[in-house]
Amino acid sequence: MTKNTGNEAERMVVTRIFDAPRELVWKAWTDPQYVMQWWGPKGFTAPVCKMDVRVGGKSLCCMRSPDGQECWNAIEYHEIVPHEKIVSDMYFSDSKGNKIEPAELGIEHEAIEGAHDVTLFEDLGNGKTKLTHIGNEPMESAKNSGQLEGWNQTLDKVAAVVAGLAQAK
Amino acid sequence: MIERLSHGPASVHGLTEPFALSQQMISKHIAYLVRARIVIKTKRGRESICTLRPEAIKTVSDWAINYRRFWEESFDKLDVVVNEMKKAEARHDKKHG
Repeated sequence: MTKNTGNEAERMVVTRIFDAPRELVWKAWTDPQYVMQWWGPKGFTAPVCKMDVRVGGKSLCCMRSPDGQECWNAIEYHEIVPHEKIVSDMYFSDSKGNKIEPAELGIEHEAIEGAHDVTLFEDLGNGKTKLTHIGNEPMESAKNSGQLEGWNQTLDKVAAVVAGLAQAK
Repeated sequence: MIERLSHGPASVHGLTEPFALSQQMISKHIAYLVRARIVIKTKRGRESICTLRPEAIKTVSDWAINYRRFWEESFDKLDVVVNEMKKAEARHDKKHG
């Protein structure tokens, strides 16, 4: 079961490169003051955002559609590497953060059992940050995906990375 | 499939095309959506036309249908926020630097 066999197609991966340093993108992602400004699709607002970004913590966000309909999501955190990586679970909830089965909302949602969301913050240098959000990641690969991503990106730059690490020490 | 129907009604044949599934499989899936009262099926001549139930759209509020769209569009907004933050920081630095 721990073998990385397929399911790649079923995973949703969204990436974006931001013209800002990693610390800033992290802040925008985790500080409710900023999350309220971007949470939800185009035209939606986020009237409520409570963030508790730590392992075992739970965040709660409400989004309001253009026609005034509200929908709540809760997020639980499994692993946090500051400025680098978040492994979390997002689900539909009521305004208290209690889980609601998607079917109850009439939502067709094919969640993969035991799967998580992985968010990666990657420093590209020159003040740029690559943000990767992977949905429905099985836990075993969620644990490793940070490293995997790092390897894929830097395989030919290992020497530079090591030098950077040495400098940071 | 709901994503496709969120753009407007479609025939069963039209719904089969983008998927690598047999029409039989698609019909089965549609039947499931009709039972779940998410989709309405109507006859137009020899074709069956599928429409999303307006109430279903309202309940589902079509962002929820498409997880990817949720994140893509949130990322668009995040980009604006991050740029604003950067500008604010630069202003702050100027004032205090």
